[in-house]
Amino acid sequence: MEQFFQQLTNGLAVGSIYALIALGYTMVYGVLKLINFAHGDLFTIGAYLGLTVLTSLALTGHLGPFLGVSVLALMVMGLVALVGALLDRLAYRPLRESPRLSAVVSALGASIFLQNGVMLIYGARFQVYPQDILPKMAINLFGLYVPLIRILVLVASVVMMVALYLFIQKTRIGTAIRAAAIDQGAARLMGIDVNRVILLVFMLGPALGGAAGLMVGLYYGQINFTMGWMYGLKAFTAAILGGIGNIPGAMVGGILLGIIEAMGAAYISIAWKDAIAFMVLILILILRPTGLLGERVAEKV
Amino acid sequence: MKKLLFVALALGLMLSSAYAAGPVKIGLMGPMTGSWASEGQEMKQVVELLAEELNAKGGLMGQQVVVVSEDDGGDPRTAALAAQRLATQGIVGVIGTYGSSVTEATQNIYNEAKIIQIANGSTAIRLTEKGLPFFFRTCPRDDEQAKVGVQAIEKMKFKKVAILHDNTTYAKGLADEAKGLLEQNKDVKVVFFEALTPGERDYTAILTKLKAAEPEVVFFTGYYPEAGLLLRQKKEMNWNVPFIGGDATNNPDLVKIAGKDAAAGFFFLSAPLPKDLPSEQAKQFLAAFTKKYGNPPNSIYAVLAGDGFRVLTTAIDGAKSTEAAKVADYLHKDIKDFPGLTGKISFNDKGDRVGEVYRVYEVNKDGEFILMP
Repeated sequence: MEQFFQQLTNGLAVGSIYALIALGYTMVYGVLKLINFAHGDLFTIGAYLGLTVLTSLALTGHLGPFLGVSVLALMVMGLVALVGALLDRLAYRPLRESPRLSAVVSALGASIFLQNGVMLIYGARFQVYPQDILPKMAINLFGLYVPLIRILVLVASVVMMVALYLFIQKTRIGTAIRAAAIDQGAARLMGIDVNRVILLVFMLGPALGGAAGLMVGLYYGQINFTMGWMYGLKAFTAAILGGIGNIPGAMVGGILLGIIEAMGAAYISIAWKDAIAFMVLILILILRPTGLLGERVAEKV
Repeated sequence: MKKLLFVALALGLMLSSAYAAGPVKIGLMGPMTGSWASEGQEMKQVVELLAEELNAKGGLMGQQVVVVSEDDGGDPRTAALAAQRLATQGIVGVIGTYGSSVTEATQNIYNEAKIIQIANGSTAIRLTEKGLPFFFRTCPRDDEQAKVGVQAIEKMKFKKVAILHDNTTYAKGLADEAKGLLEQNKDVKVVFFEALTPGERDYTAILTKLKAAEPEVVFFTGYYPEAGLLLRQKKEMNWNVPFIGGDATNNPDLVKIAGKDAAAGFFFLSAPLPKDLPSEQAKQFLAAFTKKYGNPPNSIYAVLAGDGFRVLTTAIDGAKSTEAAKVADYLHKDIKDFPGLTGKISFNDKGDRVGEVYRVYEVNKDGEFILMP
């Protein structure tokens, strides 16, 4: 039983990172019906920019660990949002009127470009975050040994997800994003600047992805330029699991995928962990082709 | 008519002389990108430095040596394409590559094209059990490595052993070999034998399961990026079981990834490290490398690639030919106790290096690799 709860916390930590990245996939898909294959690489860029800012500004030295990391996170999110906006402007906007396949190919190209760009700038070797940024404490939770930083990762990602959800549901801009997701043409007729909405989506998603990259760097320490591929694939799976285009779906899908993986590794086989996760995906898609929470966007008639 | 004949003659002469005077081309196939990119890029640095030195001394058989490198991406599929590209470029032999599964994907391509292949980091046993006449390697084999690993485990009197691999040709081969040897010893029990997925960040699920099996020691046969994370996360879990790694965990990045306090006390098997290389050639080479690139080589496999380059060029020079059959013959029979950077080199009939043995290293508190007596 103790192992069960320990594995549950393991799964939650992994799953909350998947969920944060999955939000970026799902938001872009919701508005543009485009799978942004470069999203995993924006996550990588977040991890690398985090390291650069951290080591060059020594924020945690001046501001203390928690405030320092919060400021660092905001800076990284802002920078990655800019990269996301640039990506939209250069790689996707020129292809807005082209067939959907062109945009997908452009996304794949952008992914390869960003990944190799990171390699050329930072080098191919593993980069390592400094070890002493956050205090290495652990909390004894009903006999479970949980490192403090893991709780912080979970709390930070839940806070960001809830903030995003409220932003989309309760604000005027959020309403505009939802309107553009349902029908771009009609939204344009209602006076919504759809291109600006898309730009915003391409800033919000990457900002969250960048934050996830920073968290992975702070928590696991080791980053390299290919890390976005695996996380991107898993987050994409999580987005589909929850129902792509649906924001709560991405959160549920991400956390569920993390827990399925941990439990699969614990009770069936470690080597079959991914196979089990993908088998669950296939089963869910057979039973509910729109994913767990279904696609919120109404069918176009 | 006369003029035409002259032109044809001149052209023919030019072509034939160009053919004879062409530089000696040697291929280098390594993981320049992908998760082992640091290995591949250092392989390239080493081989290019040695080629420069050789050319400064007058080259090979009066010709310059040109290194043609291709990226195998650390991936068998990419490697097969890289091998096909290299095979069409008139190379005499190819140095590389690092991972065993990657090398395996290219062996038949080079063999059919009659190109000599000298692998530098591929230690999987079956690579040299196929009877390929043009395949060699400068690194030792995993059966020897497993033997040394199991001896170390027995010497330290561990009774319950967990074995963890990552399903690559190398890691699984080494794990199987070690398991077989350990099962011959009645006092030792293998309590855990499974594989992880390389390239991930979070191995806590695996460590939690591993801990439940209550091993006294864990033998991890995979590569250094995963080993570093395992050590770090093991420390975070507050679990103090000793880890032993295979030779693929031998890389200074291991300590960087794990952090010094988590890496301390980690044992690994390896051919001697660049800094522990005793020979005069090695010292000169390390100095030249440091002068050119600003730091000494990190990886022994890059130095082993350099040894591959040196035996290959020596064999071409000795055989006075660039014909694969003659050069391979020379490598099999006439390279005896060649003073390599990593010690004496000789090859047996299978193309395996004979003589050199694995050592056991321990990581100390300062993250340095200390040769165990």
